Amino acid sequence: MKSEEIYNAWKERKSQIDIRENFSDELMNQIYRYESEKRKPLFNGLRLIELISAHRFVKAAVVTAGAVTGFVRIMFVVYAFLAC
Amino acid sequence: MTQETQVIRQIVEGDIESFRLIVERYERPIARMIRNIINNRESYEDIAQDVFFAAYRKLASFDPARSNFSTWLFTIARNKSINALRKKRPLSMSELPQNSDRHNPSDELAERDFFDKLDAGLEALPSAQKRAFVLAEFEELSYEDIAQIEGIRIGTVKSRINRAKKELAKALKEIRYEK
Repeated sequence: MKSEEIYNAWKERKSQIDIRENFSDELMNQIYRYESEKRKPLFNGLRLIELISAHRFVKAAVVTAGAVTGFVRIMFVVYAFLAC
Repeated sequence: MTQETQVIRQIVEGDIESFRLIVERYERPIARMIRNIINNRESYEDIAQDVFFAAYRKLASFDPARSNFSTWLFTIARNKSINALRKKRPLSMSELPQNSDRHNPSDELAERDFFDKLDAGLEALPSAQKRAFVLAEFEELSYEDIAQIEGIRIGTVKSRINRAKKELAKALKEIRYEK
């Protein structure tokens, strides 16, 4: 075989490609899922719970905010009691 | 307005299913380019899917006045291929292509041996040279398009392709010499 023939045969082989049959279906499903996620409202009750439980730091922030609110409330009660 | 630009406008306006036309038109060239650059037979289809998904998400930012859609899409594929190459683990010795039996007179085996040598030559090219070569030789893109995809001058594209061809010609000469 001549070099040019080898090169052309190799080029021909490299130009062939197999794509799985459901390539475009898989991709379109991924896009439809992405669009339906995008169209969900950013904050409804369930999504807020999902968001909180999915992130460690958000969970810690919510617990901290609750504890601070509780503490402030108790201080108000004590202050009101002492003021009487 | 080209038919493709019209399809893109339809997609941006919410006709998601029209994106299938784009995928079916470009799936083979994009997958082929990725396979020939990353040389991984397992993951090129997944990366190609990533390319199309990224293209879909960025479609509103595509400006037909600045580039062809195909050039824009190939640029995304180029970037994804570079990322994949960075993540790719090096091949172990046992995974490298083995030379076939040189004593076998079969033409088919000899041909496979030639191809293995050329594959190894392509794989050994510096990444930028390989990309320019793959885009020019297998995708048959113009130097202008390749320059735009790579973000370089046309002269640089030409010199990268020439150097790649010289390296592969060297590999071919070695084959002739060994035979």
